[in-house]
Amino acid sequence: MQPMRLPNKVVFITDADGGSGRALMRRLAAEGAALLLNSPSNGRAVEAELEQVRQSGVRARVVSVDLCRSAEVVPMLERAAGELGPVDVLVHNNNLVVPISVETGEEDVFLQVMNANAKSAYVCAKAVGEQMAAAGRPGKIVFVSSIHAEKPTGSSFAYSASKGAVKMLAREASIVLGRRGISVNTIELGPVEGDDEVFRSDISKLYDSYRYKVPSAVLGTHDDLAELVLFLASDEARYLNGADIRMDGGFLMHYLDFKMKLPQQSEEGAR
Amino acid sequence: MSLAGKVAIVTGAGTGIGKGVAVELARRGVKVAVSYHASEAGARDTQERIAALGGESIIVRADVSCKDEIDAMAQEVAGRFGGVDILVNNAALQLNNNFDYDDETYDRLMNTNLKGYWQCIQAVVPYMKAKGAGRIILISSVHAKRPTDFDTVYAMTKGGIKMLARESAIELAKYGITVNTIEPGAVDVGKKSAKETKPFVPPEYAERAQGMRRDIRWKFPLGRTGLPSDVASLVCYIASDETAFLTGAAIRLDGGSMLL
Repeated sequence: MQPMRLPNKVVFITDADGGSGRALMRRLAAEGAALLLNSPSNGRAVEAELEQVRQSGVRARVVSVDLCRSAEVVPMLERAAGELGPVDVLVHNNNLVVPISVETGEEDVFLQVMNANAKSAYVCAKAVGEQMAAAGRPGKIVFVSSIHAEKPTGSSFAYSASKGAVKMLAREASIVLGRRGISVNTIELGPVEGDDEVFRSDISKLYDSYRYKVPSAVLGTHDDLAELVLFLASDEARYLNGADIRMDGGFLMHYLDFKMKLPQQSEEGAR
Repeated sequence: MSLAGKVAIVTGAGTGIGKGVAVELARRGVKVAVSYHASEAGARDTQERIAALGGESIIVRADVSCKDEIDAMAQEVAGRFGGVDILVNNAALQLNNNFDYDDETYDRLMNTNLKGYWQCIQAVVPYMKAKGAGRIILISSVHAKRPTDFDTVYAMTKGGIKMLARESAIELAKYGITVNTIEPGAVDVGKKSAKETKPFVPPEYAERAQGMRRDIRWKFPLGRTGLPSDVASLVCYIASDETAFLTGAAIRLDGGSMLL
């Protein structure tokens, strides 16, 4: 049997409830990680995954805190450290998309998106970074970001601005926390099933036939994401720091749609 | 490359880069709204310099973290000058708190540097739309790409501005409005930098800033740091009719320093 890749490592997943959170729980638990899970539903949305990982002997603690409030995050981390030990790996995967236009957008929507995606990332990185530095163990921080840290959406400027902000947060953290032995990397995830609806735009045709803009015409999944997070969280990634890894199957390589693989007749029929 | 008769709003025009941009635009015949928040004496000085060149300007005070004040500013400028052709988003805070922001100070920086840039764009779009043309220029920083190592949240705001610019460029193109970004490196604004003067900045940062001045020749391939006039001449070019096909671009203006 292969040795576990995250034996007894404490992994803090900042949004367990979403699609990426559940995939991360399954994959990281299978490698021996102990899980600290922030769950807005207080665990209800991840009952099946929780039962599965606990049955396999993995320790998991579910919390539900406002990640934009240091006054909630810092004490929560202290209490969790008492039960699980200090955090070894922070995976920030909050990903709120709300349509908002530059011209007509409302301030409260802008702040909602910016806070959910960027402020939470800062508050968590600062709080966890301090805990990791105090523990004196090499730590890992992984930000699950998006190709929209570079490519505009044409539907939610606040979303892409929040991801642009997280990109710079990661780069700053890679030096400030890097000196304390903490590695900080970003995954810029490309389209997964359903993103054409999530990013529906009157301005950009980026997601039209999005599946076929991936050269292989096969979309990635949150399980692919979980594999890369696992690698970045593991000791094998020891020389990766301050990197932005675009994981989109090559989606962003297309220009003016010249390079699209056209659907096969049979595939078309099947759809 | 005539800019004569156009109307520009320059935020943060009481000091530094904003002052240099406002004066240069006015020298080329642009009617300039000198927007300031804290630097009242600086704004007056900008206006005096413009008047000395025979230029036309008004002073408008607005806190760019406050939408009502921004909207009132745009309305006042359009009422006075008959529209807005050019917006130079420049007003920004840099607090040099490195990784040690509390939640409230984080908000203060985001609300000024990023939300303020967005809402200034929102405020001028109706006037540019009416004319079917407009130039929006965002003063960002090399720290939209390269980390600062002295101000995490400042760099986050610049990373956000990078995407605000790209989104605005595709969304506002249909109105004939272009949106471009200038990313200056170190610019000498004729005063000691906050790194050298702020009491809460650790001594190592002050030493580092002094070191940068000492080592200019090998940190800046062109042999000097930037000047507000360097930014101003690029602003004038982007504001002109010669850049009709330029939008969503970010131009690094740093004497080559980011290459080393």
